[in-house]
Amino acid sequence: MLFANKPGNRISAGISSYLPRLGLSALFLCLLSGLVLTFYYRPTGNVFQNVEEITTLVPYGWFFRQLHFASGQLFVILMLIHAVDHFHQKRYRLYPEGQWQRLVFSLCLCFYTLFTGFILKGDKEGVFAARIFMNITGGIPLVGKRLSSLFILPGEDLFFLPYLYHCFFLPILILYLIRTHIRKWFPKYGILYTGAAGLCLYALFVKPFMDIPPDAFAASVKGPWFFLGVQTLLKTLPAILAGIVLPALFLGCVLILPSVEKAGGKPGVEKSGLRIISRYLHRLIVLVFFLYVLLTLKAAFWGP
Amino acid sequence: MLERRQFIKKVSVWGGYALGAVALGFPVLSFIGFRKISEKKITFPPDAQHAAVGYKEGVYLMSSKDGFSALSAKCPHLGCTVNFDAVSGEFKCPCHGSTFETSGKWISGPAQRNLQPLPVKKMPSGDIETVVKI
Repeated sequence: MLFANKPGNRISAGISSYLPRLGLSALFLCLLSGLVLTFYYRPTGNVFQNVEEITTLVPYGWFFRQLHFASGQLFVILMLIHAVDHFHQKRYRLYPEGQWQRLVFSLCLCFYTLFTGFILKGDKEGVFAARIFMNITGGIPLVGKRLSSLFILPGEDLFFLPYLYHCFFLPILILYLIRTHIRKWFPKYGILYTGAAGLCLYALFVKPFMDIPPDAFAASVKGPWFFLGVQTLLKTLPAILAGIVLPALFLGCVLILPSVEKAGGKPGVEKSGLRIISRYLHRLIVLVFFLYVLLTLKAAFWGP
Repeated sequence: MLERRQFIKKVSVWGGYALGAVALGFPVLSFIGFRKISEKKITFPPDAQHAAVGYKEGVYLMSSKDGFSALSAKCPHLGCTVNFDAVSGEFKCPCHGSTFETSGKWISGPAQRNLQPLPVKKMPSGDIETVVKI
């Protein structure tokens, strides 16, 4: 019924069946390459030098670093497309109570994992991203300082907590949260091999981006691609509003939408106020997401 | 009567949980949140004092006919290190575009506060020493 014979629905069916499986193969490669990298990476001392050694000195370090980067990015991008497709098709209505919220939360954790990876590069962009994150969370009234110290610490320990989250807490928590959503832990061999081959070819032929040393001059510094929109907003809006309140409101709307829709009753039975609210909430979320994508594209091409 | 007893039992069980969480959570949060406040001395030797604006490890040292002054290079907005633009004679933040005068006074951008001035001390050896909190 969901995949009626319309072109849009056929595309959606393809997105929902192939992309997540491809994403899963990217996740496995990401975990494996990350495991290899942990043998040399150290989150203390001169982290930038350590990363540069991995890239230029350690045998095949450049390959594992690039494989880890590409597979992590691909996994999160595919999960985002998968979530957007499900949201657009309103499939969250079919999920048992709480599962949509759990999956959206796990997607947020995936983005946080990418962000900690961005910090752990130890270059100028990573150090600045860490400081900005620390100052935004630290600026939350009453609990900010304490909350911030749970995620990141200033000074010589700057990379230590992001390292713990990136390598241990977040992967374990994400795998735990998505365990019931994944029907089979291993995707079909064809998809697994295709994904692995594509990512390995990328890692072989595309060189890692040049990292800016922390003390080098840089006229402008960009955050990770998914925070470029926030970086632009931070130029004009107060940090708490742009960095905490607006993202939290958006996330809150995405999380409560299935509950509002369920509370509004079945379609065609009665037209309750909640059903109208849920319809407008859905449109509002789509509009805000679209605007954020435009803002991100603008920042990516013309600077934040 | 039974309902009341059950209610009291439930409240005491949940109260126990809450008390236990606080008793355990407070020391855990205190442990995790503890940070030793440390200071770092930055020294500018005599040969690093000739430039009108010198930089070392997050500190700008300005020399003028009145003497030396030092500024923290940390942007008061969200903590990025500001660059000195010799052409315009201003400090510029590479993250969100705030600008400051060489005196540290805020000019434009989201920072809306001045750069933090730091104490400078001329040592008998000729070095200039300043202290930053980490």
